[in-house]
Amino acid sequence: MRLLQAVPVLFGVSIITFALMVATPGDPIRLLVGDHASPETVAALRDQYGLDAPIHVQYLKYITNLATGDLGKSLRYRVPVSQLIAQHYPVTLFLVLYTIVLTLPPVFALSVWSAKRQNGPADQIIRLLGVLGLAVPVFWLALLLARFFGVTLGWFPVSGFGATIPAHFLHLFLPALSTMIWVVPILVRTLRSALLDEMNRDYVLTGMAKGLGERQIFRKHILPNSILPTLNLFAVIVAYLLGGSVIVETVYAVPGMGKLMVESILARDYFVVQGATLVFAMTTILVMLAVDVVSALIDPRVTP
Amino acid sequence: MHMNGIVAATMAVLLCGTPLAAQDTLRIASGSKVTSLDPIATAAAGNIEAYGQLYTHLVRKDHDGTFKPGLAQSWDISPDGLTYTFELRPSKFSDGSDITADDVAFSLLRVAKDKSSAYPAGFAPIKEVTAVDADTVKMMLDYPSAPMLSNLEIFNAGIVSKADVEKRGEEAFTVNPVASGPYMVKEWKPNDRLTLAANPNYWREGLPKIKTVDLIEVSDDNARATMLMAGEIDVDRHVPWPQIDEVNNSPNVSVKLEPSTVLYLVLPNLAKPPFDNPIVRKAAAMALDRAAITNAVTLGHATVANSTLPNALNYYDKNVSPPAYDPAGARKLLEDAGLLGTEINMMIVPSYAQTATLLKAQWDAVGFKTNVEQVDVGLFWSNLTSGEFEATTTWYYNETEDPDLAVRWALCGTCGSKSFYTNYDNPEVDKLTEEALREQDPTKRGALYSKIQQITVDDLPQIPLYYAPYSNGYSDHVKGLSLTPALQWTLEDAELTGG
Repeated sequence: MRLLQAVPVLFGVSIITFALMVATPGDPIRLLVGDHASPETVAALRDQYGLDAPIHVQYLKYITNLATGDLGKSLRYRVPVSQLIAQHYPVTLFLVLYTIVLTLPPVFALSVWSAKRQNGPADQIIRLLGVLGLAVPVFWLALLLARFFGVTLGWFPVSGFGATIPAHFLHLFLPALSTMIWVVPILVRTLRSALLDEMNRDYVLTGMAKGLGERQIFRKHILPNSILPTLNLFAVIVAYLLGGSVIVETVYAVPGMGKLMVESILARDYFVVQGATLVFAMTTILVMLAVDVVSALIDPRVTP
Repeated sequence: MHMNGIVAATMAVLLCGTPLAAQDTLRIASGSKVTSLDPIATAAAGNIEAYGQLYTHLVRKDHDGTFKPGLAQSWDISPDGLTYTFELRPSKFSDGSDITADDVAFSLLRVAKDKSSAYPAGFAPIKEVTAVDADTVKMMLDYPSAPMLSNLEIFNAGIVSKADVEKRGEEAFTVNPVASGPYMVKEWKPNDRLTLAANPNYWREGLPKIKTVDLIEVSDDNARATMLMAGEIDVDRHVPWPQIDEVNNSPNVSVKLEPSTVLYLVLPNLAKPPFDNPIVRKAAAMALDRAAITNAVTLGHATVANSTLPNALNYYDKNVSPPAYDPAGARKLLEDAGLLGTEINMMIVPSYAQTATLLKAQWDAVGFKTNVEQVDVGLFWSNLTSGEFEATTTWYYNETEDPDLAVRWALCGTCGSKSFYTNYDNPEVDKLTEEALREQDPTKRGALYSKIQQITVDDLPQIPLYYAPYSNGYSDHVKGLSLTPALQWTLEDAELTGG
């Protein structure tokens, strides 16, 4: 059911992207052939690539092809858009999942630690570090990390994706770390305050009165109740990570979707931008769906 | 702590990761993109750098700049300069098929006449190219062209396989192109990297020495510099001026400043106010302390430009000069003409912000009112080529050391590019351009180009700023590699030594 709802959403996304790209000034063909090419050459190619047809005709053609699963051809590279996406998407997906895997343990550890010792020195330090992590600009931090861990210490690669799975983990460590530094504080703040709220609820007292252990109350009642709001925020952040991959992918020269998207927008490579946007939208829809399913598992009152 | 556990685990992965094997791959990172492998499809920088590796030429320039036979082992030029006859050496494409006179004729006609040829200017005189027999090619011109032979070395005159292009069309250049140059495509990942493998059939036997080359696309200057210093690439195509010292102070890497035909300049649009007025152009030129701008932007690494032609070109005239820096004189010019307070709207791409700030400060100091508008590259080229701008600052380079193409591109009003889209059109310059192309005597040609330079530093269809060398970063174990002024890597003669 939810997946069916995705169809009109994707349709809307495609119309908006198409309209935005068409409305953006700048000629893809001029960028393609370079400044030396004559206006005649540019005109001939525009015609050949079907860019001279009226907008609605172009869109109709695009959407008909899309219905058959054909995302079109890149104007720049003359290769299928699906090939470009297949090449770049796994990289970004790996990076996002890696970031999540690195993020979750410290989020739980730090929020529980800090909530259990509210206003203690550990809590203060964690909160202070959190503000710092949020305040530091990602691109600057990423640059510093690359210079320090990559050049000075030589511990981690500062670029690329690597060819094997262990190499992927190694190459994407600094990008994932740079992203994690601002994601962790956001989630810690939410989870910590949710934990504090729940810890002061009446059911905790009831539980104590029933003779339940403190650990049991925390694990069985407080934690599940606190996770829900964080989980929803987490879904938003994952969607944001996909889009925000642009920054870390640029600084660490990671050949992922962010890079593909930016370069394609700069080159006015319409069909690649379209295709990439649809894939981003689809992923976001799936993440939201997954989060709803997980929420339902944690709290049966939520229906996916 | 969980954090430490993860770091430790990652470190473990690092330690058991494959150690660096003896290196046989050269890795070049560049901000310029390879978007097409078809030599006639585009004249954008990243592509130019790749074309030379994939497609060989009839003639080639050695690393000392002298002309050597290429695919043509000898040639004969008729006394009227209208017929060129080339004798080809026996050679093969990367797929093992013979390179024949048919392929050469096909390739040259393609760049000269095909409607999708992005930069045919150097081949405009060509009337017909025919295969006389399997290894003889005859090229006939409509009119003589002094630089014709050297133009055959330009990036887009590379030899492609006729049979393959006719059979596969567009796909011949996206999937396993058939190469004639020192390298062939091993793998192309658009928007990421082009991996080249040595072409076993390359006609220069025993070359290239480096078996694999990665051309990696990294748009961020900082990322490339970090990669070079961390040893993840061997060559950084363009280290920004402020980072040269940092790279040079790092172990095992250094920046080489190599001669280029690059000229940075200010382009006014002569079809629009205020720069349609010669007084405004003169005042704008006199207002600029070009030496100070050059020093501030390039930290002394570039040479102040004195001519409208790049200083690496033949017949460059070191004795011409645009109006000298004279802010008081500039203000007086504006005052006398009642032009004080004239507005200048300058369009730039973000990487020119520093130059634009300096230009604005110096123009405003003599009584202009400058507005700077930043646009992205896509809009920049659309606006420039359609004449939707008042002034801008940018650069260009020339494909050969012969000035003909530079003049046609940047100073001639009837040669197709409207003098670098400034709409400058001086009939005398146009006439001299054609005359100089046909003139075979070097001394007389030199005089004609001097005259063009003299006229244009007075007319000011552009304000030349500085001649910038290439600033490429190299790892110390790369030997014999440089970037020629024609934007070609000398990869076939390069070596990797040590570790």
